[in-house]
Amino acid sequence: MKTSVAALALLLPCLAGAPDYGKGKGLGNPAAPLLVEMYSDFQCPHCKHLHETFIPGFVKDYVTTGKVYFVCREFPLPGFGPKSREAAAYATAAGKIGRFEEVSNALFANQASWAMSGKIWETVASVLSPAEQTKVQALMKDPAIAGEVQHDVDTGAKIPVRSTPTLVVTYRLQQRPWDYWQDDGKLFRGYLDGLLKQ
Amino acid sequence: MAFSNSKPFRIGVTLLRLALGGIFIYAAYVKLAEPWQLFSAGIRSYEILPDPLADLLARTLPWFELLVGILLVVGRWLRFSSVTMSALLMVFFSLMVRAAVKGQTIECGCFGPGETISWKTLLRDGSMLAGSLLLTLVAFVNRRKPAATA
Repeated sequence: MKTSVAALALLLPCLAGAPDYGKGKGLGNPAAPLLVEMYSDFQCPHCKHLHETFIPGFVKDYVTTGKVYFVCREFPLPGFGPKSREAAAYATAAGKIGRFEEVSNALFANQASWAMSGKIWETVASVLSPAEQTKVQALMKDPAIAGEVQHDVDTGAKIPVRSTPTLVVTYRLQQRPWDYWQDDGKLFRGYLDGLLKQ
Repeated sequence: MAFSNSKPFRIGVTLLRLALGGIFIYAAYVKLAEPWQLFSAGIRSYEILPDPLADLLARTLPWFELLVGILLVVGRWLRFSSVTMSALLMVFFSLMVRAAVKGQTIECGCFGPGETISWKTLLRDGSMLAGSLLLTLVAFVNRRKPAATA
């Protein structure tokens, strides 16, 4: 415990000067015992499946109950081309005005449509008010948004995130990447329960 | 056939036994420090065993690794512990080679999370297997010469 406090104290000056990565993309109590970061790609079909089947129940059972602080990270895969990165940038920009969840839901729900047509902005705009659209478009011109996406990619690659979706669990300052979803997350829930009992 | 009874050889074999035993104890510790589901996910990603068997293995294998590691470090039941370690390492190494040949980018599962199978992990486990086979050979060849065994 003392070691953790000392490590945090040493890190604080670094954190104070760091860019505000992940703003608006976190859900729950930041002081929760577990941090779970989801690295995903808006064009990845498995990410869409996880987002629509596993995540709602996970948020209800673990995030709203204060057990987990959940943060979404961008991990646009090169294989999907530039549209993934653009979608990630829009979602990140929307996060800055507190509309990440809505934009993220829209991008996953209409994945096949915008991936085919390339109409990413139209999908994003459909869940934003005109004033919000203006703000997001202005933010998209800020290189910090693309920088944040790249930061997520670089951070994920170091963990290492090998595929999407990957949920990285941080507990007692140690990160564990989890990319096994063939059982729709049953084993992952058991793992979280096990960590919470420790 | 008898192995050299020279002092440097005996010291080398003893160090090898302690190192491999220590590695097995460490491998067991990092798995036992986590809920078993994490190791089970690693086993399942190899796509070899049905899920219930993967779960059973995830719950039991670390304890077995710990037992083998302790036996090696304390130098008891050396034929049993070295044969068991060699058999385990042969299975691990074969599975890792199989995954690499199939192009699976999965976790090694050797020493906890976050380690992808690569030429480095193959080299490491291959070296451990070679060392373990040597220990096994020494344990059996020198079985009637306890002073000469590691």
